[in-house]
Amino acid sequence: MSVSKKVLASLAAGAAVVSFAGCGGSGDTASSTNSDGKVVIKVQTFNNFGYGKSTAERPGADLWAAYEKEHPNVKIEETVASGSDDARSAFNTAISSGSDAYDVYAADIAWMPSILAMPDKFLDLSSYVKGNDWLDWKTEGGTTDSGKLIGAGNDIGPTALCYRSDLFAKAGLPTDRDEVAKMLGGDNATWDSYFKAGEEYTKKTGLPWYDAMGGIWGTMKTQIKEAYVKKDGTVVATDSTVKNLYNQLTATTDMSAHLTQWSDDWNANFKSDSGFATIMCPAWLVNNIKGNSGEDFKGWDVADVTPGGGSNQGGSWLVVPETSQVKTEAAKLVAWLTAPEQQVATFKAAAQFPSSPTALKNSEVTDKVDSFLNNAPTGKIYANRADAVKVIPYTGSQYYDIDSKLGDALGRVDVTKEQTAAQSWQQFVSDVKALS
Amino acid sequence: MSESQDVTQRKTSPNSWRSRMGIVEWKASPYLYIAPFFLLFAVVGLFPLIYTVYVAMRQYNTLTGDAGWAVCGATCADTQASWLGNFQWVLHQEAFWVALRNSVSIFLLSSVPQVICALLIAWILDANLKAKTFWRMGVLLPYVVAPSAAGIIFSQIFSDRMGAVNALLQAIGMQPIMWHGSAFWSHIAIAMIVNFRWTGYNALIFLAAMQAIPRDVIEAAVVDGAGKWRTFRSVTLPMLRPTLIFVIITSTIGGLQIFDEPQLFHNAASAGGGVNNQYLTVSLYLYKLGFVNVTVGQPNLGRAAAVAWFLFIIIVLVTILNFWLTRRMSSGSHVKRDKTAMKHLKQRQEAELLKAQRSGANARIAAQAASATQPSEVA
Repeated sequence: MSVSKKVLASLAAGAAVVSFAGCGGSGDTASSTNSDGKVVIKVQTFNNFGYGKSTAERPGADLWAAYEKEHPNVKIEETVASGSDDARSAFNTAISSGSDAYDVYAADIAWMPSILAMPDKFLDLSSYVKGNDWLDWKTEGGTTDSGKLIGAGNDIGPTALCYRSDLFAKAGLPTDRDEVAKMLGGDNATWDSYFKAGEEYTKKTGLPWYDAMGGIWGTMKTQIKEAYVKKDGTVVATDSTVKNLYNQLTATTDMSAHLTQWSDDWNANFKSDSGFATIMCPAWLVNNIKGNSGEDFKGWDVADVTPGGGSNQGGSWLVVPETSQVKTEAAKLVAWLTAPEQQVATFKAAAQFPSSPTALKNSEVTDKVDSFLNNAPTGKIYANRADAVKVIPYTGSQYYDIDSKLGDALGRVDVTKEQTAAQSWQQFVSDVKALS
Repeated sequence: MSESQDVTQRKTSPNSWRSRMGIVEWKASPYLYIAPFFLLFAVVGLFPLIYTVYVAMRQYNTLTGDAGWAVCGATCADTQASWLGNFQWVLHQEAFWVALRNSVSIFLLSSVPQVICALLIAWILDANLKAKTFWRMGVLLPYVVAPSAAGIIFSQIFSDRMGAVNALLQAIGMQPIMWHGSAFWSHIAIAMIVNFRWTGYNALIFLAAMQAIPRDVIEAAVVDGAGKWRTFRSVTLPMLRPTLIFVIITSTIGGLQIFDEPQLFHNAASAGGGVNNQYLTVSLYLYKLGFVNVTVGQPNLGRAAAVAWFLFIIIVLVTILNFWLTRRMSSGSHVKRDKTAMKHLKQRQEAELLKAQRSGANARIAAQAASATQPSEVA
């Protein structure tokens, strides 16, 4: 008898373990409150949103603690994915299986088309975020065609031009950031003027002018309203607009450093004496430049200019899935996180450039000076660059598939040099056809 | 145990509840003991397998789910819904065939040198070395390195510009190699990562098998005048056959499924598999199809499932081919000679048996004759 009692006891224990384990993933109500009776909000972010406690690798504004203090019944659990790709596969799995793995997701700009295409699966946040303001195009990016606001704008990626003043000096070019901007045409800077300056520079020094065609294209493509796909669904990726820009870009192959962005070679070239002189510089890229060239490297500077007109690259939204057990609480948290005060805090701590006009006018943002970039007033420069953004691309569901094919096409010309521009374009055309 | 003894003791009431329970326990408990494995297998093995068949036949999107039977679509000019649609679509994709070529190429470039090196290393380790454990540990050490760590480190070593290998090549006056640009060189580099990790692991398996070979067999060969190489070739290698088959089959499966190394080899740049699919493998293609480029409205998960099934079939075919080849390699070429040798041996044995029987019979007759005469002598 004692034997069977033991068996029963262990069975019961096993069942308990199983049911506890089940709690973590399944959507029963027990998972939304913990043992203290607090509401648990699970948040998934990636890279560094600057919400958490500040560490050496991840500077942050410690916003969770602040929110929990204001709302004693709330407990926040943040999961930080190492990159947006990892975050996206977790997001895809959770949304497709309908499990409320997280209550708040940070969504990259590249995911927004698929999110906007299934508005029923996400909460309409408009009634929660009333006190917040965003730049018009940021709000537009989180709103469906039927006017439902499902993405609360977090940060944006206005693009300036970062340049190596030490290499500029060697080539006899102006080193002062205002003069660099003027040299390229100031507010009327075009790609022509940018490439013309590059031609001079490479002729004089024999050194590359920009890092990679992919980097230039990243800015170029955001200056076209309907680059690859029109709103009615027609694919225009192989039409003249893109093709002309492609031809203009691939004609400048002498000015390229022939690197793949984000590769080790690219990382290593930021501080090289024979490295590239300029790079298209969204606000968040400053952190990467710092990381790749070392905090004490002197030479990088930023000019208040974007060839071809303003450009926004990247920037995220926060979304709440309908399946969340605590969606009201989650929506309140999202509204708070994306409010101007919190945007200022994360910009100060982790260089997430605010998407709120109120935050952009805040003196703590406008007065921010970056000692790494030769004391450049980055707050002011990026605010100007954000103002200059006039075009927000239409990113239909096929946008990023086609974009990765064009990236490959540029890589074949620029990095591996295995095809001529014309050959590579030909392959791009057939790649786009195969995407149907 | 005690209860079943109870049952045997109380045979007087065979239909009692207790005894019936006892019989059930006696009969069912073995199945219950092994049930956890089969339940687990059914949940994490069998169900996904069957479900993948189903998904492969449907227009299944990662985000929006099922939308009916598969359609091949524009690539094969067929809008008819049929369960074959996704399979047809995959076969129409150039990228799939390129990925298959890359998988096979990387698999050959890694598995073949790997098994040969592992054999030789095991042979060396099997010899009388000083500090045996040290060497054996050293061989296994790379296996401890996480695949992702190895991938990241090697992708830096094989960087196109700043990589250590190219720096070395340039130092001795050679042209740097575009490790990421050329299909062949990228395969070599990825095969290096695989070999780095797995050679030692396989060497230890071979070593274990070698140590299980009876020493007297090898000693006999040495006494017969066989050299080291000859002993290895004619004694050790044939006796390693089952292990050889095991290692080759596992490395076939691993080699064709290769994912981590090519995924990390693009060192975090956006184009996984290379800008011209230079090192896109089948599993990488599957992953990109199903989980990376997710376009709403595309049956991407269905197509990824179809790719998974093609991969499965290819692996089964290659494994069977491998099995057959390995059997032939380690014994097959000698079959004919063995047959004649066996015939001779049998003939000789039969002759000896006959001789023995005869001599035995003779001896018996002699003994009988002796015993027939002796008693009379005694008497």
